[in-house]
This record gives sequence, structure tokens and C-alpha cells, in this order.
Amino acid sequence: MSNAAMQGTYLGEGSGLRAWLLTTDHKRVAWLYLVSLTAFFFLGGAMAVLMRIELATPAGDLVSDDVYNRLFSLHGIIMVWFFLVPSIPATMGNFLLPLMIGARDLAFPRLNLASWYVFIFGSLFALFAVAAGGVDTGWTFYTPLSTLYANGFVSTAAFGVFIVGFSTIMTGINFIVSVHTLRAPGLTWFRLPIFVWTLYATSLVMVLATPVLAASLILIVLERVFGIGIFNPDLGGDPLLFQHLFWFYSHPAVYIMILPGMGVVSEVLPCFSRRPLFGYKAVAMSSMAIAVFGFLVWGHHMFVSGQSAYAGVVFSFLSFCVAIPSAIKVFNWSLTLRKGEISFETPMLYALFFLALFTFGGLAGLFLAALAVDVHVHDTYFVIAHFHYIMVGGMVTAYMAGLHFWWPKLTGRMYSEIAGRIAATVTFVGFNLTFFPQYVLGFDGMPRRYHTYPPEFQFWNVLSSGGAVVLAIGYLMPLFYLGWSLFRGARAPDNPWNATGLEWQTSSPPPPHNFETMPIVTRPAYAYDMKGLEHERFSPHREEAAR
Amino acid sequence: MSELRKLTFGYLGLLALLALTVASSFLDLGGFNVALNLAIAAAKAVLIALLFMHLTGTLPRLAVAAAGLWLVILFGLTLIGR
Amino acid sequence: MSGTESIAFDTPQRERRADNFAMWVFIGSEAMLFGAIFLVFLVAHIDFGPAFAAASKHLSLPLGTFNTAVLITSSFTMALAHRFTLQRRWHATVWALAATSALGVCFLVVKGIEYGKEISEGLAPVLDLPFRYAGPDPVHAQLFFGLYFAMTSLHALHLIGGIVVIAGMIALWRRCSPANRLRRVVAVGLYWHFVDVIWVFMFPVLYLINR
Ligand code: HEM
Ligand SMILES: [Cu+2]
Repeated sequence: MSNAAMQGTYLGEGSGLRAWLLTTDHKRVAWLYLVSLTAFFFLGGAMAVLMRIELATPAGDLVSDDVYNRLFSLHGIIMVWFFLVPSIPATMGNFLLPLMIGARDLAFPRLNLASWYVFIFGSLFALFAVAAGGVDTGWTFYTPLSTLYANGFVSTAAFGVFIVGFSTIMTGINFIVSVHTLRAPGLTWFRLPIFVWTLYATSLVMVLATPVLAASLILIVLERVFGIGIFNPDLGGDPLLFQHLFWFYSHPAVYIMILPGMGVVSEVLPCFSRRPLFGYKAVAMSSMAIAVFGFLVWGHHMFVSGQSAYAGVVFSFLSFCVAIPSAIKVFNWSLTLRKGEISFETPMLYALFFLALFTFGGLAGLFLAALAVDVHVHDTYFVIAHFHYIMVGGMVTAYMAGLHFWWPKLTGRMYSEIAGRIAATVTFVGFNLTFFPQYVLGFDGMPRRYHTYPPEFQFWNVLSSGGAVVLAIGYLMPLFYLGWSLFRGARAPDNPWNATGLEWQTSSPPPPHNFETMPIVTRPAYAYDMKGLEHERFSPHREEAAR
Repeated sequence: MSELRKLTFGYLGLLALLALTVASSFLDLGGFNVALNLAIAAAKAVLIALLFMHLTGTLPRLAVAAAGLWLVILFGLTLIGR
Repeated sequence: MSGTESIAFDTPQRERRADNFAMWVFIGSEAMLFGAIFLVFLVAHIDFGPAFAAASKHLSLPLGTFNTAVLITSSFTMALAHRFTLQRRWHATVWALAATSALGVCFLVVKGIEYGKEISEGLAPVLDLPFRYAGPDPVHAQLFFGLYFAMTSLHALHLIGGIVVIAGMIALWRRCSPANRLRRVVAVGLYWHFVDVIWVFMFPVLYLINR
């Protein structure tokens, strides 16, 4: 990749392994994360495929129950902590936050690099746990199963997650401080791109919630290794308390996973409908509202765990309320499209699919928030479908939208538009085929976390397993055409989509310190209605001809 | 008051509060012992934050306020759940 | 760059403001960590008040009080170090820093003596050590001592971290520009005071229960 054309860009600054591993440039750190997260994504995905193959038939014929338990546990642990939580913030967030606020780097470049090393160190623990025999507690590590009964490498895995938590906190602190102190002249809070707002809100959750997860994991390790019976009912400990601490983190953590995705979509939709984002302030403030109110609802994971009935009612009510800011966003995105000049480039396709899938998953969340309904569907495939619609259909789709949208900026290359559109569509079809049947299964009462099931469930399970294959193809395709574009793709212009936003005003790929002259901001974000931008539209062929 | 004197008074105040809290534990105040101990601890924390840590400026206060609010949420909603 | 450590900043003033803010955000984050642990303790205390009160009497109040005074003093010397740095009295700064970390070590030594005492009295229900508790309700007393060891050792780990950082700072002192000296003293000072504040709460919560 490092040829003459990369001279003067951040990619041209030394290409040896050393130059990459010791870099403090946020753009290169983003690449370090991108590569490692991609590896984790496919590792976790492989486990999912194994599970789906097992579930194609009612009998437990491919793997034993014990192995199945380990498969879904590691799938969850890897996907949640080693992919979804860092996904957008650590890759695109890292790359774009300084560019979007007009800064030369994040406030603490070395801390940023350190966060990657901590991440790798922690994930090595978890990988060791996999290699040594696995964990069978599920990603939730519920006590007393995890402390008294589980015989896997629970402490190792939990410790790995604990360490990765520090990397999350480091990123969070870096982002918060950067947004407060490094905005370019003229870039007031209400001129920030929504992506920055959502990263800020995410960081807030990261910094305030992750330590509580850390505390609960430490206590598990203390109980297993040192014999301190904090969650052990025989000693008067309270196993339910673990669930409180865990969900105090993990419900907000679902917003760590979705908020950055919402940010990406808020960038992409206006760009490809050539309209300013509808209700900018409402979208910005609803991100903050989500970050705050997301902390008030964790009890909806414990409706049937034996918390008081009074608490159940309170948490049910609050869970309905937390859907409001998300709904505000969905309405604003939809209204952004109204009367827009919509075009369906790859990032836009992904963003529209996000919109559909996120809404669908969110509505199922309202079913679950209803106390009485949840008693019926708790711990069934209905819950699985709900959160996969949001975390995979929503977040991973948004991740792909962002990756395709900013790929020209990251690499200075264009990818094959046709291949991109096909991959997006295959993903969408495969996703629905995989997860819609799970709503039906869950509603009919198929419980989660078993490797066998009664034969009457087979029809929907076969559909779901077939869908998983399609979905896997959809996710594998980008690996090839994006990989190919890295070396052979057409040179990208500085602003291929004619987008607003400071990141598009510097070259593709950007110079080492981001801007040749430091920018001054005079316009609101998403000024697509301003003169000079409204009728320009990207066409790869025109760009090619102009060259 | 010079800075140094401020620090010294703060230090002596902290030691006095320590003596107070230990002494109070020898009295039986019913349920109020715990409350008093926590109030004294909070007073010490405020002294340390203001005098030693120079808690001024909007941004640091914002961070402290956020952590305080979130601790209230954590404690409050966990305790109603029981 | 113009006297800043990170290329992101154009002036040292802005960088210092960012440093200070970052430390406070970090402290807020740490407060949540300890908050969660305190919550675990509180819940157990609510459930088993009398057993906890009785068990608490087995901790050494004199040593605990002494240690609290030691930490408060170390905070004071830390504040002095900050003061001296602002006045560019470098010698005095190094002395104040050294005193701070020495007091930290003193705290740890006393804590170790306490642990040793508790272990020899059979009050340490960790690592399969024998637990011989004569008071009422030994099951819940065991929970109390478990929490006591968990909380105090987590605090001690934080203190060790602080001591190591101060020692490193003193070792690298000569190679450090005055601006960076100030930045480091401020940052490590904030951390140190925070660890002190945690102890200020831990002390009454663990040692001074009488109901
Ligand atoms: C629109 C607002 C939402 C509401 C009202 C809602 C409601 C719920 C409820 C009540 C449950 C518990 C169901 C049960 O265990 O019986 C649940 C589970 C879950 N939700 Fe949501 N949810 C919402 C949004 C989200 C988002 C945005 C995400 C992720 C990005 C998400 C991820 C999850 C996960 C991972 C679980 C299950 C965790 C497990 O048990 O392993 N939810 N949701
Ligand atoms: Cu939730």
C-alpha cells in the first residue's frame, strides 16, 4: 500500500511493524483496533455458526451439551466485550473524532495506544480460557453458577473481561476530555456532528458503568480464588446482588453498543438524501437522555429473578420511558428522508437496513418491558431475537455503514460499489432469515441455551440455521472486496460523497496531523441545504474522467 | 490567609474530625452512630476535595456531580429492588 | 511543539486544563468502582447488622485509627508537594513526595501487621485458612471478614499503585522539565487524595459499627 501516492499521508509515515505498533497517531491506532476486532468478530461468528448447525436438528448430535454451553458462552463473551463494546468507538470513533472536531489528535495519544495494548492483553486472557477448555456460564456470569458450580476457566475469562474494561475506560476518558477541550474555533456544541454527540454519550456510560462491572467481576474472582463468599447464599451472601451490579453495567452497556451506531446513521442518512438532519437538537439531546435514562432500567432483566414486585413495576414503567428517546431518533431519521433526493449507495443501504432492524428490535423491547409479557417470554428465543435485532441488525449494520462510508477516508481508495450493494442486501436477507424465526420460536416457548429441542420446533430452526449461512456470506464478502480495494481500488477523492463535516475537508487519506491548516467552523452540521452542495452527487465515473 | 496556613488548618481539622468520629463510636446513639460516622466522613471528604485537591472550575465539578448522581442511582434502585 | 506533551494541544494552559479534567473523570470512574463494593457491603450490613457489629469489634481500633491519621498526614504532605512545585522549590518538593510515599509504606506495614494479627487469631476466612470465631453468628461474621479483606486489599492495591508512581516520579525527577513536573505532581496528587478519601469512608464503615 505504501507507494508514492501515500507520501505525505498518515499511511506514508513508516510502514514497518514497529512504526505501527508504537504509533500514537489516532488514525493508526484505529487500524490496530480494526484488525483485532475483525479477528474477534469472525471468531465469535464461527462459534455462532457451529451452534446453528447443531440446532438444525432437534437431537443433540453435533456437540455435547457441555460443549454447547461453552460455545454460547464464548460467543457471547467475545461478541459483547471483544467486538461490540469497542466496535465503532475504538475504530471509526478513534479515527474520526479528532478529524470531526478539527483537532490534531485525541487529547492523550499515548493513553490511546495504551488502551489498545490493554485490550489485547485482556483478550489474550479470554483466548487462553478458550484454549484451556472454555467457560460455561454464559456471557452474564450469573452467580451462584459462576462461583460455586461452574468448572470452566471462569476466573481467567472474567479477569480478561475485567482488563478489557480498563481499555474501555481509557477510551472513554480520552473522548470526553477531547470533546470538551479540543474543538476547533467556532465549533460550538450544537454544531458538532451527531456522531460526536453519540461518542460523547457513549463515553459517559463507559466511564461510569464499566467500573461497576469491574467490581462485580473482581468479586467473582475473589470468591473463586480466595474463597470469600460474597455471593454465596450459604454464607449469607446474596447472589441476586450480582445481577444488580451486572445489569447496572450491562443495560447501559447495550447503549454503549447502540449509541455510536445511531451516530453513524445520523451522518449517512442526511448525506445520501441531501437534506439536513431533521430536528438536530432533539437527536443530540436524545443521545444524552439515553445515556442517563439507560441507567434507570436494569431491573427489567430481573423481573423473574426474585426482586420485589414493587421494583418490578417501577422498572417496567421506566423501561417504557427509555424507549422514548430512541423513538425520537427514529422519527427524526425518517423525517430526514422525507422529500430528500435519496440515492442508494452502499453506506445508505446499510443505514436504511439499520433503521428497519433497529426499530423492529426496539419494538420487541417494549413487549419485553411489559412485566406480564416478560414472565412468559423471559429466557426464551424471543429475548435472543430482540437483542440480536438491535445489536447485530442495528449495531453491526451501522458498523458496516460507517466502514463503507468512511472507507475512502481511511484508505484513500474506493471499493466496488456493486459488490458493496450486493453484500448489504445479502446481509439484510440473511439476517431476517436467521432471527425472525427466533421471535416465533421464543413466543412458542422455546427456551434459550439448550442444544436440543422438541421436534415441533424444527421448521423454524432450520430456517434460522439456513439464514445463518446467508448471513455469514454477507459478512464475509466485504473482507474480499474491501481487502481488494486496499491494494487495487481506484483512488478516492477527498470528498467522494459530497458530505459536510470537517473530516471531508482534509485529504483522503489525511496527513499525519490531520489538517494542513487548522479549520475554523462557520456552519452548522449537515448544511446540505446550503448553496453549492445541494445538487452535486457522487459518481465514480465522473470522478474517474476528471482525473 | 496564606495558602500554607489554609493547608495546615485543613490538616488539623481532618485530625480533629477523626478524633470526633472515633470518640462518637464509644457512645451509644442508637441508629445514629452510622449516620454520624458517615456525615463526618463526608465532611472530611469535602475538606480534602476543596483544600487539597483544589476542586474548582466547571469541568472537574461536572465530573464529580456526574459520579455523585450515578452513585445515587446505583444505591437507590438496588435498594428498592430488595 | 510549544511545551505540550500531546501534539493535540497548542498551549500548555489548555493541556493542563485537560489533564486536570481527565484526572477528575478518572476519579469519578474509580468512585463508581468503590461505590459498587461499598454497596455490596451495605446490603450485607442491612441484612446482618448485629453479626457485623459484633465482628467489627474484633478489628483493631487503635491500629485502624493510627493508620487513618497516617493517611491523612500523607495527604497533607502531598498537598505541600503541590504547593512547593508551584513555588518552584524543587528540593522541598522531592522531600514532600518522599515523605508522602514513606507514609504510604507505613500505612501498608501497619495494615500488614493487622492482617497478621487477624490471621493468627483465625479471623481470616480466605484461601482456606482456619476460621475460628468465638462470637455470635459465625456464618455471617465470616461474611464480614471476607468483605473486610476484599475491601481493604483493594484499597491497599490502589495505595501500592500510588507509591510506585511517586517512586518512579522521584527517580525520573532530573530528566523532567519544570512544566512536566507540575503536571505530574498535580495528577498523582489528585489520585493520592482520592485514595485517601476512600479510606476515610472505609474506616468508619468497617471499624466503627456498633449496632
Ligand atoms: C428500546 C428500548 C429497549 C427496551 C424497552 C428493552 C427491553 C428489554 C427487556 C425488558 C429485556 C429483558 C428480557 C428478558 O430477559 O426477559 C431486554 C433484554 C436485552 N436487551 Fe433490550 N431493550 C431495549 C433496547 C435494547 C438495546 C438498544 C439493546 C442493545 C443494543 C438491547 C439489548 C438487550 C440484550 C443484550 C438483552 C438480553 C440480555 C441477556 O439476557 O442475555 N436492548 N431488553
Ligand atoms: Cu436492558
